[in-house]
Amino acid sequence: MSMVTTEHLYKEFGRTMAVRDVSFTVERSEIVGFLGPNGAGKTTTMKMLTGYLPPTAGTASIAGHDIIDEPLEARRHMGYMPENVPLYDDMRVYEYLYYRAHLKGLCGKSVRQQVGYVMDRCGLDHKRKSMIHTLSKGYRQRVGLADALLGEPELLILDEPTNGLDPNQIRQIRELIRSLAEEHTVILSTHILSEVEMICNKVIIIDNGEIKAADTPANLTGGLRAAGRVSVEYKGELDCVIKALSEIPSVKKIIYEGTLPGGWQRLIVRAEPGTDTREKTAAVIQRYHYPLRHIYRHIPSLEDVFVEMTRHD
Amino acid sequence: MSEIASKKTTNTITRHTNWFATLRTLYFRELRVYFSTPFGWVILACTMALLGFCLQAVIQVMSKATGEGVMFYMLNNINFWFFFIFIFPLITMRSFAEEERQGTLEGLLTAPVTTTQIILGKYLASYTFYLILWVPLLLYPWMSHLANKYTEWRYGIIAEGEITYLLADWIGPYAILALCGAFFIATGLLCSAMTRSQIIAGILSTSFMISFYFLGRVTELWGEFPAAPIFHYISCTEHVSSFSRGLLDTRPLVFYLSMAVLTLALVKRVVDYRRWTR
Repeated sequence: MSMVTTEHLYKEFGRTMAVRDVSFTVERSEIVGFLGPNGAGKTTTMKMLTGYLPPTAGTASIAGHDIIDEPLEARRHMGYMPENVPLYDDMRVYEYLYYRAHLKGLCGKSVRQQVGYVMDRCGLDHKRKSMIHTLSKGYRQRVGLADALLGEPELLILDEPTNGLDPNQIRQIRELIRSLAEEHTVILSTHILSEVEMICNKVIIIDNGEIKAADTPANLTGGLRAAGRVSVEYKGELDCVIKALSEIPSVKKIIYEGTLPGGWQRLIVRAEPGTDTREKTAAVIQRYHYPLRHIYRHIPSLEDVFVEMTRHD
Repeated sequence: MSEIASKKTTNTITRHTNWFATLRTLYFRELRVYFSTPFGWVILACTMALLGFCLQAVIQVMSKATGEGVMFYMLNNINFWFFFIFIFPLITMRSFAEEERQGTLEGLLTAPVTTTQIILGKYLASYTFYLILWVPLLLYPWMSHLANKYTEWRYGIIAEGEITYLLADWIGPYAILALCGAFFIATGLLCSAMTRSQIIAGILSTSFMISFYFLGRVTELWGEFPAAPIFHYISCTEHVSSFSRGLLDTRPLVFYLSMAVLTLALVKRVVDYRRWTR
């Protein structure tokens, strides 16, 4: 059984359609990254999963519990960290976590044991008695994460967990999320692409409320237009090289990028995705005995995928 | 945090699905807001000071009139009404509005709790705090006793007009305060649930309180007319007056309790509506 199933989720806010026909499934112990520009519908989709916002149409289920028919059961299986981590400022860290643990229905020894466990896990032990309003952004984020972890939910929904943190804190939170993936299914949203590349094993790209792509990072980048691109810099005649290059079977287009200082010509050879034309390109330039100083096959990143999928020009 | 190894807990987690245990958690969280921040203490201190002014005015009246307990004169004093109707907006305006503005309502609504539990938790906590406001009044007879003793010792005069702990004098006023409060706190919550701004919640609920107060005095201005019984029925000043005399009536009891339940049902609609349409 899938951890999360959504079927044709729609969400309207007045006249604007925030989320349109979103369907996806998340299997157990996957780390899924929600990608998209600001205002694409990531947060709305997550809020619908948590039962905070009702879908206008469509349905979703968490661990087999429908979010509308059995909201309490569904919420018991999930830990949620909202964007910007709202917390009660008048409480101390341990008080807040105890309160949340009770609220999540933990009782008896479990409360103490769970609070201790999540504080340990999120590195909050030495801050247990701090008032929440004195905490830095990074620690607030950890408290939010600790709260989401209480009761060992099978599913964690994290909305921009690294938003507003400094690079060290981002790395720490990322490590933590990666270590969590051993026991939990994680859905996280972000617009930091390198983050997704590093920790997620599935990516869902949302733009304008619609899913543009849902696949593993490798598959996404593999089929990209940018994938077979080779850039070359050599010194010599332009026309004859371009003509010779365009005769290579897999090459689709040659783009002249300009002459660099020192008379170096820069060309982009666009080929079929998944092909490697470096050897043949080099051979062409060798044929004319022109000096060649740079040849590079573009390794497509998620950034390319993201730009290609969400570009509006 | 980087050195944290993935430690897996071995203990099994025990959970309850006790409806009242969750309510209790919410209730104590709400109640502690009043006492863990200056908010509640300020209201408590101001109310006590204002009640003191009231008592001072009442002593003047009591030195001439006789027959009723001190609470009767206290509650039927215009000074009392002047601040009484502002207590409710103050107590309730932050309950939903503040959580909504801070975003903590999201955490609350996505925890495995029902809307009813959240509303009842907030309502009972506000109501408890409201009841606590009246507890210091119970010290008045003891303080007046001390004052009389002092007068006797210092000046050798035996003072008259001791404030007594007569049950008949106290049960009625406390009953009507509790009844009014049950309804007014609920309306305050309703106003708070409708907006994310405490100020707007406060304005709404103050307006309601003032209109309700004046509706109860319509008959004083216009005399008796065919629809007058309606205004008598909802007049909180009249209810307070009769209850503080010791005349316990079941009509206000039914009125305030049913209105409280009705208003809470409305709060639930409002919270659910906001939750379901944003």
